[in-house]
Amino acid sequence: MTETATLFLALALIPLPPLAAAAVLLFMPGRLRRPAGAIAVVAQALALFASGTVLVRVVAGGDGFREVLNFTWFQLGAETVVPLGLLVDATNAPVLLMVSLVGLLVFIYSIAYMGGDPRAVRFFCFLSFFSAAMLGLLVANSLLLLFICWELVGLASYLLIGFWFQKPAAARAARKAFIVTRIGDLGLFLGMIWLYREAGTLLFYDGGAGVLETAVLGGLAAGAAGGMTAATAIALLLFIGAAGKSGQVPFHVWLPDAMEGPTPVSALIHAATMVAAGVFLVARAYPLFEASATALSVVAWVGAATALLGACIAVAQREIKRILAYSTVSQLGFMMLSLGVGGPVAALFHLLAHAFFKALLFLGAGSVSHGCGEEKDVLRMGGLGRRMPLTFACYGIGMMALAGFPFFFSGFWSKEAILHAAQAWPVSPGPFWIALAATFLTAFYMSRQMLLVFFGRARSEAAAQAHESPRLMTAPLVILAALSVLPLVVATPAWPWFEALVRGGEAQWALSRLLAPEVWPLLAGSILLVGAGVGLAWWIYHPGRREAAGRDPLEDRLGAGHRVLAEELYWDRTYDFTVVRACRWSGRLAAALDRWIWGGAVALAAALARLFSALADRLDRRGLNHGFDLGCAGLRAGGIGLHRAHRGQLHFLLTTLGVGAVGLLLLLAWL
Amino acid sequence: MNYLELISHVLPEIAVLVTALVLIGMGCAGGSRGGGKAVLAVTAAGLGLALAAVVFGPESGRLLEGMIVVDALTRLFKAVLLALTLGTALFLFPGGEAGGNEGRGAENSALLLLALLGLLVVVGTENLLLLFVGLELASLALYLMVVFAAPAGRPAEAALRYFFFGSVAAAFLLFGFSFIYGATGSIDLRVIAKVLAAHPVEPILPLGVGLALVGFGFKVAAVPFHLWAPDVYQSAPAPAAGFIASASKVAGFFIVAKVLVLGFGVVEGSADWGAFAMGWAPLVAVLAALSMVVGNLAALAQQSVRRLLAYSGIGHSGFILTALVAANAEAVRAVLFYSVIYGVASLAAFGVAGCVLRARGADRLEDFAGLGRTAPAAAGVLALALLSLAGLPPLVGFFGKFQLFAAALSGGTPGTVPGLLWLVALALLMSAVSLYYYLRVLKQVFFAPAPADAAPTRDTSAGTAVCLVCGSVLVLLGLFPSLVLQPLQRALVQLF
Repeated sequence: MTETATLFLALALIPLPPLAAAAVLLFMPGRLRRPAGAIAVVAQALALFASGTVLVRVVAGGDGFREVLNFTWFQLGAETVVPLGLLVDATNAPVLLMVSLVGLLVFIYSIAYMGGDPRAVRFFCFLSFFSAAMLGLLVANSLLLLFICWELVGLASYLLIGFWFQKPAAARAARKAFIVTRIGDLGLFLGMIWLYREAGTLLFYDGGAGVLETAVLGGLAAGAAGGMTAATAIALLLFIGAAGKSGQVPFHVWLPDAMEGPTPVSALIHAATMVAAGVFLVARAYPLFEASATALSVVAWVGAATALLGACIAVAQREIKRILAYSTVSQLGFMMLSLGVGGPVAALFHLLAHAFFKALLFLGAGSVSHGCGEEKDVLRMGGLGRRMPLTFACYGIGMMALAGFPFFFSGFWSKEAILHAAQAWPVSPGPFWIALAATFLTAFYMSRQMLLVFFGRARSEAAAQAHESPRLMTAPLVILAALSVLPLVVATPAWPWFEALVRGGEAQWALSRLLAPEVWPLLAGSILLVGAGVGLAWWIYHPGRREAAGRDPLEDRLGAGHRVLAEELYWDRTYDFTVVRACRWSGRLAAALDRWIWGGAVALAAALARLFSALADRLDRRGLNHGFDLGCAGLRAGGIGLHRAHRGQLHFLLTTLGVGAVGLLLLLAWL
Repeated sequence: MNYLELISHVLPEIAVLVTALVLIGMGCAGGSRGGGKAVLAVTAAGLGLALAAVVFGPESGRLLEGMIVVDALTRLFKAVLLALTLGTALFLFPGGEAGGNEGRGAENSALLLLALLGLLVVVGTENLLLLFVGLELASLALYLMVVFAAPAGRPAEAALRYFFFGSVAAAFLLFGFSFIYGATGSIDLRVIAKVLAAHPVEPILPLGVGLALVGFGFKVAAVPFHLWAPDVYQSAPAPAAGFIASASKVAGFFIVAKVLVLGFGVVEGSADWGAFAMGWAPLVAVLAALSMVVGNLAALAQQSVRRLLAYSGIGHSGFILTALVAANAEAVRAVLFYSVIYGVASLAAFGVAGCVLRARGADRLEDFAGLGRTAPAAAGVLALALLSLAGLPPLVGFFGKFQLFAAALSGGTPGTVPGLLWLVALALLMSAVSLYYYLRVLKQVFFAPAPADAAPTRDTSAGTAVCLVCGSVLVLLGLFPSLVLQPLQRALVQLF
């Protein structure tokens, strides 16, 4: 087999094992919980192995390595061919490895976390299905295939958020997530159709004819319609889809509610992988976005707004997972911001780093609430550092990575790269300052959470009796903690290996670059900001303070502002009063029309059809069948005489044939 | 031509025939006692050999003035027929203990193979006379298969009815062929096409084609020549019904399409709305419209699932004939593709119906209640088959129907309203109706509680395997229709 064929075999083998596992688990009896978990984990491990070989090949491939394999999906008529394709390059290969690795760790964690659930088999089935769809999304070389997988991950997300559908909140959250992301998907769908109309293909790369290649892009950037080029319109529509999936303002409302799902789901889908699909889409279609400065500006400003709003709201939340959810919203905003200001490599690196430490934080949060009796309110925890030392250590690493503690955490370097890109944006300094503010807030709210959960005294009965989680749950935490530290070596300004991998070129080791005049002031400034955030949090929440349990000291200091933030800027309520209410009224109108006007017509048609079908049946059954029954009874009774008596029936039966034939011939003659 | 060449071209048929004879011998020697495993093994081996002969045999050839034709298309369809027959054979055994069929599995299997032999001859010829002989061979075997399992009563009555209908239809067919011979002086389809292209059409020819259509209409169960079908499907043993609905229908549509488009393309006429012109197209359009309306509406009133499938099959004949009216390469491709996937879905549906019939003794809608809990695999396959028949994506039925309707609309000059829009609009409407009765079945399967005293629904492992294979084919082809469409396209390019 040639090297390319092996590569594509490995590429195809990434999504297939989880898919097969999902198919097997679908038919598995519900009592086989342990084998189900084992099957899912083994399949995921296979995917991980295949991703690893693909990444090795990509790294070995060097500059601008890209392989595509296109094939015909089906053909309509003589000319219209609908192709699909697989693609591997430096953009998706690292993400593939990340998704399969985080997936594997979350699967292992789930064995312990969901082991007691009576529907654990179904849970692993859904998880494997999600993993297959997500990996399929990443390897797609066609917007169509990407869109199909995009919808499938949406479905998996819906199924998993509502996994405990007996909880009304979970069922509602699942519906909300599905509907809100569907609004974004409509944009993506329209963008896809428009793109197909303009380009005649949906393949990303196709030997010069793909939509991301210069020949097509030139055409898109030239044609203007309604004051903007086709490239701008298509890029904006695609971005609506990406914003819906990645929880960008104003679509972010579904993501915090999605935390009603089981914690492994939050970690895998709503922190590490699926929500990053929007960022990945923009990164994948980056040449298209680059063809339109307007679209990039929109991406940058929306990202900046999301980064700041998410961080603000996270400051005043009390539920441990909800804080993390808003932090995810904020970090996704950072990634979008980075894409918008022309730093796709920084965005991609932040995506990878964020996936590891945010999965770590979610799994850690799961371990924390698992340890203290499913408690979720951070104000009712406290002092857990002594009782859950391993979780504490891992969570601490995750927190420092997210808050951007200097030097030894991946989050620091990826955030630094984003700030650097934002600073260099020639269009406006706004996003840069917003990003700095968000950095400060991030350090503040993460320190707040850390201090409230792990330090001080226990503020509830459950927290006082907390215990460390089983090893199957802590082991993935340790691995993820290691991964939150390790990747930093590949993307520091001193050794920009990752940038060289994606952009092409050779990475040179040079420590002196850290002290270059365009690097160190920003480095120092952001370290100061992080320090200020942590210090502020320490001042307000220091472990020795004495306050009533269940009351947030921030409430007194911020007053009404705190209430607005705690209510999440009244975003949901605004939607309830406007969009939801308008939908409800138009729904009532449509229902009334349906019942009284269309319904009447349908009922009439149905009555006619029923009459006709009864007639046809009766003709067949009573007229012919009954007659034939008699005829056959006669035959069986023996006796030609009886037969002769019923000959009329038989004649009638065969006459239908003759009448039919004559009818046909008369029709011929009439023509 | 020497005899070796002749034999090499009909090797699949010879393999099937020899297997059938061996089976009859085994039946005489009492070989089918003891569960019929030996019989199944011989049948499967014979079919496997025939399949190998198709795959590795000559790639093309035309012997004895079109009596024996081998090309990519006939090879593809012979393979499809062999596969469908193998599926039927697996349903027959070792579930053959039902009915009065005990210990006579060998004879039953031999009949199946003789029917298959007839169908293979039909597919592999362009000679009208041999075509007729093949159809009769298949029909005679099928009459017997319908009555074979049961001691007396309804199957006998249904078989008798099938036989009467079949004989009269065959008479019409032969009568029609004789007119065609009179008008063109040949029974070779290629020669007929040449003669028709070169000379003015004799008025007697449309008469012949019209009469032949009666025979073909019987074969594919098109209204008004359908009256045999509901009784036969309901009364025959489920595997036999499955065979009639799958392999026999696939061959039927194959030969209708080939004869009409290849032989009589010149006298097509027109079925465009408001511009009817004499030829076979308006006749087929009328048959299609009647079949769609009667089949789908009558299916609404059925209580027996097999009877419902029979009426739905009549409706599907209407859908398929709709595309045939367009009579171009695209239409032929759509017709052949759809007939194959219809065959697969039908085989699966009848397999599950037979399994329910054995477990609960009847196949009324109520008897399917709770199947989703008692036999999830069978219920899942039934759902796939019915939803594919209803044409829901991502199952292949959606794609097949899309192709049918697209092909029907493809004729005519671009930019004008397609002439067959009326027929396609009717088909879409009826397609929506059909969803209702399929969902009625599935509602029972998945939402009605199982009766407390329900016997466990267990099928033979072979039968379950066939069902599962059919189900996966429906999904796989739905996702990747090119797997069949591309070979079909290549084969058709050779033909046109």
